[in-house]
Amino acid sequence: MAVDEQGRAPVRIGILSAEHVHAPSYISLLAAMPGAHLVGVWDDDPQRAISAAEPVSTRVFDDVDDLLERVDGIVIASANSRHRRLVEIAAAAGVHVLCEKPLATTVGDARAIVDTCAGAGVRLMTAFPSRWNPAARALESAVRTGALGTPVFLEGVNTGTMPDVHAPWFVDPALAGGGAVTDHVVHLADLYRWILRSEAVEVYAVANRILQERFARVETGGFVSMRFANGVSATIDCSWSKPRSYPTWGGLSVQAIGTGGAFGIDAFRQRLAVYGTREAGISWPAWGPNADAGMLAEFLSAVREDREPAVTGLDGLRAVQIVDAAYRSIAAGAPVPLG
Amino acid sequence: MSGSSPARPRVNGPLRVGVVGTGFMGETHVAAWAAEGIRAVIHDVDSGRAATLVERYGARVAATRQELFGAVDVVDVCTPTHLHAEVAIAAARAGCHVICEKPMARTLADAEAMLTAARDAGVRLFVAHVVRFFPEYVAARAAVLNGAIGEPGVLRLTRASYRPRHPAGHWFFDHAKSGGIVLDLMVHDLDFARWIAGDVVAVHCRSAGVAFPGAGVDHAVAILTHRSGAISHVSASWGYAPPTFTTAFEIAGSHGLIEQSSTATAPVMPSLLAGAADGGTTALADTGLAGDPFRLELAEFAGAIRDGTDARISAEDGLEALRIALAADESARTGVVVRIGQEAG
Repeated sequence: MAVDEQGRAPVRIGILSAEHVHAPSYISLLAAMPGAHLVGVWDDDPQRAISAAEPVSTRVFDDVDDLLERVDGIVIASANSRHRRLVEIAAAAGVHVLCEKPLATTVGDARAIVDTCAGAGVRLMTAFPSRWNPAARALESAVRTGALGTPVFLEGVNTGTMPDVHAPWFVDPALAGGGAVTDHVVHLADLYRWILRSEAVEVYAVANRILQERFARVETGGFVSMRFANGVSATIDCSWSKPRSYPTWGGLSVQAIGTGGAFGIDAFRQRLAVYGTREAGISWPAWGPNADAGMLAEFLSAVREDREPAVTGLDGLRAVQIVDAAYRSIAAGAPVPLG
Repeated sequence: MSGSSPARPRVNGPLRVGVVGTGFMGETHVAAWAAEGIRAVIHDVDSGRAATLVERYGARVAATRQELFGAVDVVDVCTPTHLHAEVAIAAARAGCHVICEKPMARTLADAEAMLTAARDAGVRLFVAHVVRFFPEYVAARAAVLNGAIGEPGVLRLTRASYRPRHPAGHWFFDHAKSGGIVLDLMVHDLDFARWIAGDVVAVHCRSAGVAFPGAGVDHAVAILTHRSGAISHVSASWGYAPPTFTTAFEIAGSHGLIEQSSTATAPVMPSLLAGAADGGTTALADTGLAGDPFRLELAEFAGAIRDGTDARISAEDGLEALRIALAADESARTGVVVRIGQEAG
């Protein structure tokens, strides 16, 4: 295994579960990163581990402890509700953790994950790659430098196709924790907290089950409105509103309004429009930078330098608290306080 | 049916139209009437403004409101919002049919009094929600009615522009007179949301103008729950730099999705060195080359008056749009969700 450009030994990384749709991206990026040594993949479904390891010819581990004793850090990409158990196993082995979002399906589990890692003395990072999306960074910069003046309102859209096409567990309330609200609120909620440097103090949300041919197991449509401690209001359209025929998975965009004007971003606008055969239809392959690479590089650096990552477990917990407040608001039909 | 059946005989021959109020929207309407071959009789408390329209559109000035009422079949009310009811009711009592610019009135009581006055006088009453005549909105409604996307479930409607450049002290910036951005700008999309997804039962709204009263930025978002279970996210902004005026909507249904954005569908993209636009006093949506929605709107109202038929929007629709807008304004001020059409609480 090669040393990196500074002559340092690579950080040894393993994958705990390839259940999540993002796992193949993490695996292929880590296999090619100079600072990383991808040691292997463990999954409670051996066949899934084999399939995930195959494209980069990394090792498949049948025993999770075998993998954990050979790595410095672990990437957990299981179904949402299984994060806590895998974090506890990794933390007990003294391995640093990068956990897929949302950190957990309940506030209790998210808090336990944060406490477990703190107690074991391992670093915990939540997988919010949007913080490394260049458009999102441009917006954060416009606010931080004062170009936007005082921000007063943020409107975000993180809509997509229903993710059951990737894995059925995404629409299983027990495994996923919920539907569109669980799946899509945390990215923008985290971006808003990061950009505003403020916490949500009140949440209002509505949801329904009309989209995706009246799919009824979990909510498929939803809006979340939140008020931050600094007075800024922000909304999120988290709906699975893209039909199967849509040319891409979905997208993430924000319109920020401030005393200095407005600033819009469309994080996945860098794409081609490709018109294929009748069967292939239309597709929009992305050609913009992969934010996952920046996120993984930050995890490697944090492990190597033994420091807090730029996105912490606490950030993951805060986002889960916003999702939890959204569900409480949906049940109450009214805004609910937070924090 | 709006305003009940006309007791006043249907209009034979060319329709005689009076426009009261010749500000920004009054001029827009006078121009549209002129394009329809109708030289409007106009009245404005500011005689200087009226004189300009005489020159530009061949309009004829009535010295008093009463003189105008006596000279026309239809009164087109384009006064500031808080004066709509007074003018509309006086016109109805004078036996004139009434077309009223949106929002219908400043208060529900005013709007209800307008309906009553029109009914009592046996004249027609229309509320000019021009978005129902913009071709992209019309096409979207047709697609929904044709079943292209199944049952509407999630709507996101956006209207973004810059702060109107009226002088300080102008009625437009006086919440008590105009109702602010929610009654003036957002009401367009509140009506459209109801046109697509039906009656609204709950309204939540947040407004930058309320949260940051000194910041001089108007931006508001309402979240509506329709009786059908559909939900709408309605955004209205005067927070952008001139000459921005963009509109967009997304209508997601049980079986499909409609997307529309004015920036993506503008058929003309000038980038001329001379006369680079910085926007006028108030931005007006542009449909490009598809025809003037104001003209289509007024022609439809004129036809409905002439033939005793319905238009695509009734006075009651105007009242319901106002009801939703007032609920949104209340929600923005109080922070609570305002329920419509059921017992309070």
